[in-house]
Amino acid sequence: MFDVIPTAFIFFVAAAILLTLPKGNLRGLLLLIIPIIAAMQVWNAGFGSFAQIGFFGFELELMRIDGLSRIFTLVFCLAAFLGNLYAWHVRDTVQQIAALLYAGSAIGATLSGDMITLFFYWEGTAIASVFLIWARGTEGAYHTGMRYLIMQVASGVILIAGVALFYRETGTIAFDRMTLGSPGTWLIFIAFGIKCAFPLLHNWLQDSYPAATVTGTVILSAFTTKLAVYALARGFAGTEILIYIGTVMTLFPIFFAEIENDLRRVLAYSLNNQLGFMVVGIGVGTELALNGTASHAFAHILYKALLFMSVGAVLYRTGTSKASELGGLYRTMPKTAIFCLVGAASISAFPLFSGFVTKSLTLTAVAEEHRTIIWLCLVFASAGVLSHSGIKIPFFAFFAHDSGLRPKEAPTHMLWAMGITAFLCIAIGVYPAPLYAILPYELHDAHPYTMGHVVGQLQLLLFALLAFAFLYRKGIHPPEIRAVNIDTDWTYRKAGPAVIYWLSWVISSIYNWIVGLLVNTTSRTIKRLYNSHGPEGRMARNWPTGAMVLAIAVLLGATLLVNFLV
Amino acid sequence: MAQKPKDDPATYPALGRMLTWVDKKGSDKKIVWALGIACVIVFLLDFTYDKYGHFQVEYVRGFYAFYGFVMFTGLILVAKALRFFIKRPEDYYGDKAIDTEEYPKDQLDIRGNTDV
Repeated sequence: MFDVIPTAFIFFVAAAILLTLPKGNLRGLLLLIIPIIAAMQVWNAGFGSFAQIGFFGFELELMRIDGLSRIFTLVFCLAAFLGNLYAWHVRDTVQQIAALLYAGSAIGATLSGDMITLFFYWEGTAIASVFLIWARGTEGAYHTGMRYLIMQVASGVILIAGVALFYRETGTIAFDRMTLGSPGTWLIFIAFGIKCAFPLLHNWLQDSYPAATVTGTVILSAFTTKLAVYALARGFAGTEILIYIGTVMTLFPIFFAEIENDLRRVLAYSLNNQLGFMVVGIGVGTELALNGTASHAFAHILYKALLFMSVGAVLYRTGTSKASELGGLYRTMPKTAIFCLVGAASISAFPLFSGFVTKSLTLTAVAEEHRTIIWLCLVFASAGVLSHSGIKIPFFAFFAHDSGLRPKEAPTHMLWAMGITAFLCIAIGVYPAPLYAILPYELHDAHPYTMGHVVGQLQLLLFALLAFAFLYRKGIHPPEIRAVNIDTDWTYRKAGPAVIYWLSWVISSIYNWIVGLLVNTTSRTIKRLYNSHGPEGRMARNWPTGAMVLAIAVLLGATLLVNFLV
Repeated sequence: MAQKPKDDPATYPALGRMLTWVDKKGSDKKIVWALGIACVIVFLLDFTYDKYGHFQVEYVRGFYAFYGFVMFTGLILVAKALRFFIKRPEDYYGDKAIDTEEYPKDQLDIRGNTDV
């Protein structure tokens, strides 16, 4: 049946084994070894389709490895390894199992060659990942988790509806490039769009990621959205609308991130912005653009995990991730601060850091298509990335004003996880050739370190930094304050309930009015009749004396009749 | 009232002690000056090589510097204005939201922390 065991199954079997192991380092080791085994299996398997199985008359493809699926699978394995190393101290079985099932599902979805398999794993990622939010164990996390689950499962339901329609139209369930147009393809597109946090469908991301546990957010940040990026790259490469959707995605989160107080939510907005670059690459759809998307996803998973790890370490040591409560932590958490700065430099695409060598591919691909406005927007968004992830995160957590907090440095295993990730961010930036070698398409003439490119990028970033220094010293830069900002979640957390409350008030008012009217009218009628026909009523004057006798005679007669009949 | 512990830099890790330079008097000015000098250098470097690009604007010397400064400033000002419309109190979504609740202490390790 199978030439090899599907990689996802390795994670599922490991989850079962984990249950039999005692809580402690043995479980930690298993959580580290499994991603390594999975990565080696995918690396050694070569390209091809290795596991087919019949399913109600369909041929399911569980293990399709090609250039695109390989790079995403490898980086998912890497993210699982680093996330599990970061979570070495966690003894919560639920989180450990969820981490394995979640990573396994994401990898299974990436390697699926048909859309039914994709659907199963798609829902798998939704269900497994919500436990990383619920594991926080608070009422707020429970409600957030429910909202998250509704969105994620809705995405899956829309996906399978789309697949059913697509099958009726085309007679195939193969997961390959589609042309947007029919209802089926639109539904599939929207399903991918929900998970990819398209504008207006995005807010589950900023709502849920700050609600997860310290380690859960690191793991969450890697899989769901990048799986959606992969799915779009596989199914809708070259779909023009994605260029515009992606551009909007790069732009609007940078404004929200700038004024958000919770640093983990700032990073969630930042993640949304980074997805925009990848979506634009998919929309352009050339080989260079898709290479840009794949390499950017690879680098992004690492530096985003690094930033979530450093802010997570702060949360772990101080109990808060709110910028208004933090500041000056470099004194006692210097290593975490430096790792955070490496993540910040990488996401901001400083030369010699990973973002520089990957984002440039997408920007070049856009430029080659001569899309001036889009290109200008993306360059602006690059400066925007610097503002929140490059400056705000490290500056307001570790520098700026002294909060007076003197927490201990992050635990050793967290430092190792951050250290390895930071090393990879720099290694990719300094020597991108190995990453370029595993991209989906052959890369011709990729030279990110040209004079023009380096100087241009440095000008953009350094002058943006100068603007920050100027605005900050003049007191124009918005201060960090304890507040929340409303986003589209306002529609279903405030407006929706308010509308339902209002509607129920209107309907209940109408109902009460009608019932009240009926009751009043009836009682009034009875009262009037009683007044006029009752013993004291005016009509009672005319009652004949024998009326009572007559009534009794009628009653007696009725009784006799009933007795006779029964 | 309990006396707050005294802030003693000797208790910081060595790396942390080295970094305290950034908070010394006058350091902030030095950092801004260094940044300013770096800006001047990268701006002048733009005149030292033949430019190549896909758009006319890329041939303008110092385009990225100008664009970075102006757009960054615009971004901050627009974001600040946006706050006027979308900012709400922290307990806006009630007490069953993560914004107001404490992170569970049993999942943290804050033993031995000192707040000065």
